[in-house]
Amino acid sequence: MDKYAYIGKDMKRIDTSLKATGGALFAADLSFPHLLVGKVLRSPHPHARILNIDTAKAENLPGVKAVVTAKDTCGDKWGVFRYTQDQQFLPTEKVRYVGEEVAAVAAIDEDTALEALALIEVQYEVLPAVFTIEEAMAPEAPQLHEVYPGNINIHVHIEVGDLEKGFSESFRIREDTFSAPEDAYFQGEPYAVAAQFDPTGNLEIWMPNAGPHLKAKPLSNVLKIPLNKVRVRKIAIGGAFGGRSEISPADVICAFLAKKARRPVKIVYTREENTVATRQAHSMITRIKTGVDQNGKVLSRDITCHLDGGAYSSTGPIAVSVPFLCMEQAYRMDNVRYNGYRVLTNKPIRGMFRTHGRAFACGIDLQLDRLGQELGIDPVTMRLRNARQTGDYTPTKSYVASCGLTETIVKSAEKSGWKEKWGKLPPYHGIGIGCNSVQTGFPMGIRGGSQALIKLNEDGGATVITGIVDNGQGNDHMIVQIAAEELGITPDDVQLISADTEVTPSDPGSYSMCETFIGGNAVKLAAQDVKKKLFKIAAEALGVSEGELTARNRKIFVTQNPDQSMSIAKAVRTSLSRNESISGEGSYWPKVDAKREWVKNPFGQLSETFSFGTVIVEVKVDPETGQVEVLEVTAAQDVGFALNPKVIEGQFEGGIAMGGQGGMLTEFLKWHEGRVLNPTQLGYLVPLAVDMPKINNIIVETMDPNGPYGAKEAGMSVAMSAAQAYCGAISNALGVYFKEFPLTPDKILAAIEEKNK
Amino acid sequence: MEEIKKRSITLTVNDETYELFTAPNRTLLEVLRDELHFTGAKESCGEGVCGSCTVLIDGQPVRSCLTLAVAVEGKAITTIEGLAQGDQLHPVQEAFVTHHAIQCGFCSPGMILTAVALLQENPQPTEEEIRRALSGNTCRCTGYAKIVEAVQSLAGEGR
Repeated sequence: MDKYAYIGKDMKRIDTSLKATGGALFAADLSFPHLLVGKVLRSPHPHARILNIDTAKAENLPGVKAVVTAKDTCGDKWGVFRYTQDQQFLPTEKVRYVGEEVAAVAAIDEDTALEALALIEVQYEVLPAVFTIEEAMAPEAPQLHEVYPGNINIHVHIEVGDLEKGFSESFRIREDTFSAPEDAYFQGEPYAVAAQFDPTGNLEIWMPNAGPHLKAKPLSNVLKIPLNKVRVRKIAIGGAFGGRSEISPADVICAFLAKKARRPVKIVYTREENTVATRQAHSMITRIKTGVDQNGKVLSRDITCHLDGGAYSSTGPIAVSVPFLCMEQAYRMDNVRYNGYRVLTNKPIRGMFRTHGRAFACGIDLQLDRLGQELGIDPVTMRLRNARQTGDYTPTKSYVASCGLTETIVKSAEKSGWKEKWGKLPPYHGIGIGCNSVQTGFPMGIRGGSQALIKLNEDGGATVITGIVDNGQGNDHMIVQIAAEELGITPDDVQLISADTEVTPSDPGSYSMCETFIGGNAVKLAAQDVKKKLFKIAAEALGVSEGELTARNRKIFVTQNPDQSMSIAKAVRTSLSRNESISGEGSYWPKVDAKREWVKNPFGQLSETFSFGTVIVEVKVDPETGQVEVLEVTAAQDVGFALNPKVIEGQFEGGIAMGGQGGMLTEFLKWHEGRVLNPTQLGYLVPLAVDMPKINNIIVETMDPNGPYGAKEAGMSVAMSAAQAYCGAISNALGVYFKEFPLTPDKILAAIEEKNK
Repeated sequence: MEEIKKRSITLTVNDETYELFTAPNRTLLEVLRDELHFTGAKESCGEGVCGSCTVLIDGQPVRSCLTLAVAVEGKAITTIEGLAQGDQLHPVQEAFVTHHAIQCGFCSPGMILTAVALLQENPQPTEEEIRRALSGNTCRCTGYAKIVEAVQSLAGEGR
């Protein structure tokens, strides 16, 4: 008998048949009787004082049913942390970026709503604005918020070991600066929210989200109604990539419009609104000084990173820290200093992105390549000599319970033919490598743990209730797979109720790659809890001890003698007739250091475990056009254990497309005075099917001691390594080390020209 | 704003006939979604780039966000809702599910319909032909590998 019935097997996802037939409903697909169209009026100025908002004409337009402004939201503010509550849902005094919400209307149709927006008269006093990190930090620069002097929103300072000693003992030292502009999430689904109140004042609301409970609390706060009246409903979600985590002003606006109009309201963002008014990824400038010994081992590293955060804090403290933390997990560095600054500018708000920090990661990896070149050591060896190992502590004091980084490097080097290719490829051909590591959750206050409930029915089927949300990555299937495995029933026997704040218990959300590890463990524990009750009944009936039993194929049987069995349905019925509970509960709280805080105390266990990845890319550059042809990509990650291998491959492949192919070759936002010049798909170039190279996937399994079945997370370390491998390969092809990304043809041609001078 | 005069039109969607009274500037996507509730066709870019709104018009893939509803009177419109036969998925839908070609699923209806049209026109496409045919449909989740595999699984040996 296989160890598992479903775990570790390639399984069709439970949700995708509905998605293949158009049956899966996304927020914009919802319709209700008497539904109104909501539209948002946005600031045309990057920085301006609001002198007056006159909505009278809009309100009087026939067909307009509600208008909301900051008067309705009372100037209430949002912030991920207590110390970052700086964004008003609707601003009372100032607007700080082009596209910021100012007012909104609900009307009987889109034309009327748009006409009403045009009738809202806003008087602004335009203020001087700052559009770059340099401008924002200049003396006498206009200030965005009084509470952030010098426009420094967040400063994270980490210092470990003896930097000076490390540099003084170094054989080689390099100091380089790396930068990249903002990238866009560009989820397939533009943001949309629908809301309605029932006659007793319960709010029902649907929107793409990375955690319904993360949405419910701020809605409860601003609407001043208890949490049990806020029902964030489950809905299909068209991708998140880090960009659907926080409450959006649109959620609050939609709820207020529905309340005022006493009718359901739906707001559907345009593509441009999704690019400008949800979240963007940070631009970064990273200066890195690294000292190595003769063998390439890093002895000392000093990093200063400035991130352009846009107009508000968002997830600022996390965003500043994570690029550094990923790299301190991936590579050993005993003596290290990090100064990260999130700087505020009059541009849209930046959040956490799936491939957050390409300039940072490329800086670390490309500089390793360059130091290796000076020492005559190839990039693979440089990484093997600095790779994190199981049992290590990171500089900020996280214990690493399992680490397969070395295995990912060795296996991907072997698969890609690194030895045969490095230094031996024809002109304008190159090969490069990138590595990284990500967390599986981090301290998230009261939302740090997940709880799950399982109810068994008399036919032997189960209903699983959990707050875990599926953004498209396959979490719904993961939950059902785990429950079916533990209970010994089939996935078809499992009914899933998830991501609905009316009924599902608390969960961190699909955020920081924690759902498999934390939510998955909670579901597993809930299933084990109820299985224990079934086994007690079966053991009694079969005259054996509970330890001798196995549950599979809808039966409980004696492991050594499968013919001696009892159906699960019968065990449930016996339990019911005895008036005994036949439900299970499970909760999982990861072993992280609750005292760890991003700014004040960035030390202690950050995450219970970490994933590790390597990407190797081979390219051919056309010296005439600057176009890069990617010949082959090899992606390897230590995922702990692959619960559903095809799902993991899909995450690797998607991560390569977003992080490497898009992130290093084509994707970036262009600006003019705080306006995005390429917010739509004609201007923002996401990879196409013809662009994508062959990808070799290598799943490395280290069996994490605490992950469910040994699992960690399913592909983020690949996504976070792709950009480095792409730029390393292009650098290798040209013999030029780049410092500004992405590597568009103009940059490549300029580099070739400069080199040939 | 000047009222645009509505008119009566007849559309044939998934072999059924619908009489509508609609404005001549309404796109097929708007009419399908808002009036006929075929919400499988999605709006993602709204400017004819992403292919999420793809439907078949007389078997050809067409971007419904750039097509006026009045322009397709008398033609056979197929949306994703019309592809399966009862509970039996169309082979392309089945292949997408089996090969993990669907993650978030937002692009899937348009991608599947484009693949259906490709295989009708060219039952044994090569990988290159598949990639080219699908390049009018963007997917942000999958990196396309499993989508291409799904279509290849129906393409026999290819040419």
